[in-house]
Amino acid sequence: MGLGQASLRNLTLRRLPAALALLLALIGFLVVAQVRTEWRIKRALRIPSTQLQELAFTLRDQERRRAGLEAQVADLRERLVDYERAASEGRTTVARTGRALQEMRALVGLTPLEGPGIILELNDSTRPPRAGEDPNKTILHYTDISGIVAELWVAGAEAIAINGERVVASTGINCVGTTILCNTKRLAPPYIITAIGDPARLRQYLRRPGGGLELLAAFDFPVRLTARNLVRVPAYRGTYRFEHTNVIGQE
Amino acid sequence: MWLPVVGLILGVALGYLFSVEIPLGYVKYTAIAILAAIDTILGGLRAQLEERFALAIFLSGFVVNAAFAALLTGIGDLLGLDIYLGAVIAFSIRIFDNVGFIRRDVIMGYLRTGPREAQRPAAGGKIV
Repeated sequence: MGLGQASLRNLTLRRLPAALALLLALIGFLVVAQVRTEWRIKRALRIPSTQLQELAFTLRDQERRRAGLEAQVADLRERLVDYERAASEGRTTVARTGRALQEMRALVGLTPLEGPGIILELNDSTRPPRAGEDPNKTILHYTDISGIVAELWVAGAEAIAINGERVVASTGINCVGTTILCNTKRLAPPYIITAIGDPARLRQYLRRPGGGLELLAAFDFPVRLTARNLVRVPAYRGTYRFEHTNVIGQE
Repeated sequence: MWLPVVGLILGVALGYLFSVEIPLGYVKYTAIAILAAIDTILGGLRAQLEERFALAIFLSGFVVNAAFAALLTGIGDLLGLDIYLGAVIAFSIRIFDNVGFIRRDVIMGYLRTGPREAQRPAAGGKIV
């Protein structure tokens, strides 16, 4: 070991404290900075920094999910608008359909109606049958009633009822023995036929020469025809039912 | 040996005075730097005890080790792997090794010659 090497060693040995001081200063600085950072994180977030990466991952995941949910919200809002528009359109459609349905029900006879019209009261003949005369000629037949109803329709009647039985499309007027049936309900004299329509026109048509009423009057049946500003026709009380019928052209 | 103490106090004081915020991404590098510095100091002490101390080796060891550890950490960040843990473990093992050698050197020196001359002839081993 030469002298130069020895002096070099002495030199380096003397420099050891300085180098140590340098590194210790670095360590002190870094440790203090690190500890302060860590404390700040703990104070601010109340979680150790070792969990930060995990939390960052969770945060990113949540943010991605939030973005997805926001897109979903936007989509749903859009659809809601669509639905609202459709609903408002639907409401008008429903209202229109409801009005149409109400009209249909009225036309078909399922609602009581009122309006200007006539009341025609018929009864069996008050005249006692003469000897040898057919007693059938002194009582009203279902054909008479049916004929009167047909004449009323022709005269422009809009709704007809006989003794409170509404005459509808499926109404049949027939008889069982001496009893006249309307809507399969037994009718009893007097027969009061109520019709809504132009009263003057209805009366004019019924009273026309050679009409049904003239014939009845000729046979001494009491006929009383009155025009009214307001007559009421009740609703059809029977049922409509299709058992063998299929509607054509409807899905 | 008051200079190292002064250095430590100076470093701590600087750390307190300049409130340096270490960004979270660089916490790994801080850990590496601290470990490298501790390793270097202990290695230097051990070298001095074994009379093998060389300033060039001392400082270059710190710089190169720290730089390489930082490189590993950077690569680990790129790859998404915690490669810096390898550097941390290597430094830690070296630190414990050096502590063990220093402990042995000091104790052997005491047992042979007394407290003032705790020195041993150079033995083969890692320096810094």
